[in-house]
Amino acid sequence: MADAPRLITLTIDGKRVTVPQGTTIWEAARRAGIEIPVLCHDPRLRPVGVCRMCVVDVGERVLAASCLRPCAPDQNVVTHSPQVEGHRRMLTQLLLSDYPDESVRDRATGEDELVNLARGYRIRETPFPGGTHKPAARSKDTSSPVIAVDHRACILCDRCIRACDELQNNDVIGRTSRGYGARIAFDLNVPMGESTCVSCGECMAVCPTGALTNKAWTGLRTGKH
Amino acid sequence: MELLTRMMELQEHHGAVTDEMLHALSKERGVPLYRLEGLRSFYPVFRAQPGPKLQVKVCRDICCHMKGGAGFVDRVRRAVGKDGAGKHPRVEVEAVSCIGRCDSAPAAAVNDVPVHGTAQEIAAFATGAKRLPIDEPAAAPRRWPTDPYAAPSDRYGALTRLLRAGDSAAGDSAAADRDRERIIATLKAAGLRGMGGAGFPAGTKWEATRAAPGAVKYVVCNADESEPGTFKDRLILEELPHLLIEAMIIGAWVVGARQGVIYLRHEYGRERKAVERALADARARGVLGKDLLGTGFSFDLRLFVSPGSYIMGEETALLEALEDKRGEPRNKPPFPTTHGLNARPTLMNNVETLAAIPIILERGADWWAAQGRRGCKGLKFLAVSGDVERPGVVCVPLGTSVQEVLELCGGVAGGKALYAFAPGGASSNFLPASKRDVALDFAALQQAGSMLGSGAVIYVAEGRDLVELGANEARFFRNESCGKCVPCRVGSEKAVEMIEEALKGKPRAGLIPLLQELGSTMTQTSICGLGQVALQPILSVIANFPADAARRLAPRSAPARTPARTPAGRPERAARGPVRKRAPTRSPKPRPGRGLAKRTAPRRKAGTPAATTRRARSRS
Repeated sequence: MADAPRLITLTIDGKRVTVPQGTTIWEAARRAGIEIPVLCHDPRLRPVGVCRMCVVDVGERVLAASCLRPCAPDQNVVTHSPQVEGHRRMLTQLLLSDYPDESVRDRATGEDELVNLARGYRIRETPFPGGTHKPAARSKDTSSPVIAVDHRACILCDRCIRACDELQNNDVIGRTSRGYGARIAFDLNVPMGESTCVSCGECMAVCPTGALTNKAWTGLRTGKH
Repeated sequence: MELLTRMMELQEHHGAVTDEMLHALSKERGVPLYRLEGLRSFYPVFRAQPGPKLQVKVCRDICCHMKGGAGFVDRVRRAVGKDGAGKHPRVEVEAVSCIGRCDSAPAAAVNDVPVHGTAQEIAAFATGAKRLPIDEPAAAPRRWPTDPYAAPSDRYGALTRLLRAGDSAAGDSAAADRDRERIIATLKAAGLRGMGGAGFPAGTKWEATRAAPGAVKYVVCNADESEPGTFKDRLILEELPHLLIEAMIIGAWVVGARQGVIYLRHEYGRERKAVERALADARARGVLGKDLLGTGFSFDLRLFVSPGSYIMGEETALLEALEDKRGEPRNKPPFPTTHGLNARPTLMNNVETLAAIPIILERGADWWAAQGRRGCKGLKFLAVSGDVERPGVVCVPLGTSVQEVLELCGGVAGGKALYAFAPGGASSNFLPASKRDVALDFAALQQAGSMLGSGAVIYVAEGRDLVELGANEARFFRNESCGKCVPCRVGSEKAVEMIEEALKGKPRAGLIPLLQELGSTMTQTSICGLGQVALQPILSVIANFPADAARRLAPRSAPARTPARTPAGRPERAARGPVRKRAPTRSPKPRPGRGLAKRTAPRRKAGTPAATTRRARSRS
């Protein structure tokens, strides 16, 4: 008989939670009915901790990304303190400051995760200068017959990269450039329609924003709006 | 290492890594195109198309900005254009991040050969009007107080004694293990701390790597100092490379590694030659390679030249590069001591930390501890720059004060009064001149509201605009952000945009509290030290020099809020709903800044003797 996994008990928002060793804080919280917001994380994908929306207070010098931090015995985790929520709100504002005025995904399905976070935080305006005027790095790419790419709506969550390369093994999408100029790219940074993309659609299925959407959605509107 | 090395060879050979080359490389190595594009576009050394024959890289960061003045890069550009017209039509002048020659600021590199001087002089090097200096290591290096060896023939003495002792105890692995434990205990007793910026106790790191389970382990020397104002490791690499090589071999013997890497910053050409010669010398002596001194213990070292960029000095970004990936810092934990290169336990130390180890083993922990002053232990190399009469590297007792180091370097340039200083490189907080008696030590500086950081002291004279300097540093971190995580990638850009608006005379309403709040989010949520410290210098100007900050960053009259941008798809409901009060965030007071991925830490005891100091000679 295989050994039972070692169990760990910790406290999340005052609740005692027992999980198998190796469980992430995000997963443990979810099992305890506590929803920690994420943009880059998707339980089907390898966690990368780049959006920082899931940060929690574990009593360290700085906050920890709960999507990849394993639970530790007797740890005391705070997921929704005013400080933590303040930082999440700030991160949302930063992303929104470069976001297009209208999201195709939001309009078509109401499932734009960034826009929904902004709604949750009641963000009406961002205090930051907008970045949509930025040159080349932020433009649309309609070269694929199926998928519409809007780099202005890309928040570099890397979900499409992991989905393309790790779920589908198509190995088309990666990051190009760096810093504020970083963005997703296909093959050697060619338009999607000229790349080795096979239009499987996994990238637009995992995309949380209006960056990778179905071309058929253009003009679609859900009853929500 | 192999893939990036191949790409660097292509770049070196053809002046570019073109799409055609990457298509071929992709087929040859079975590596997807997107990965190659990711590498080529990430590292500054690569170009997709060949550039002009002559490339002039002019530093734009704080020390060169102070000495060259605003618009220096443009002046070089104009000077090249004028003098080079017709003769050298294809000279490219590029503004780059710190090249580690802050002691001869303003500095530039012409086809990777460091030069300095006025815009006209740099242009003369570029156009061929003036011959480029010879870029060779010092023929007769000076004797430094951390070198226990009087003559080159004495080098590797600590290592030799250790291996011979192990040899005589051949077969007695318990005795060898006791020797290993003894070395760790000596490093701990000496109080040796990491000199790359973190100040993490070296003995503890060695102990953790030794304890980490794994048949394969590595030793890595982080020789990628790149923070503006920081060039102390450069001197050690050029003049004392044998010390860090010896320490790496000892480290390998202690933790059980058979391979090591010296990760050297790209801009250090002359230092690279010195390290290569020292590696050849160590091999010739039989202390590096296979079966060292006939003991059966083997360890080999490889020199890897970085494809560039500041973030590579962050230990996990460096490891990513060694694994042929984009140099983006990893989420920690796990730490390199257990999950380092290729996910194996890796002992990773800074150049200066390693170079201190042979003398500690030769003379003992007590001797080393007694070298410090004011309760601090050991010696410290400091890179001194900015408004100082004789910039350069000094080696002083840890605990020497900011004022004492200033005096050693001839005082403030031009006999001016001191206004401020940054004691630990571009990521350390600016402190006012009134704190000039603070000891240059981990604990004392942390208490004073800054940090020892990378051991780079930048002095600022009366009359300087500190807001400009803080803005310059924010720009540096923005330029060097890898872009992996949101707070650093977007936050540093937005901060710089807003600061630049203010410097143009149009500060937005509420800029100062907004920068404080943004800085707090960046510190709390960024993956690595870069994003965590990016706004700290400008925030320290706001906190410690409020009048200066108000003059440049606060609007003159009470204005309306800047035009609001509506976020995408804002629903009617939210639009009509009550505006939720912003959740209170952490204290806007700047904390002591922190270097890349590092912690600052505790203190030490017992006072001690006089300063042994040396200055770097000026170079040309």
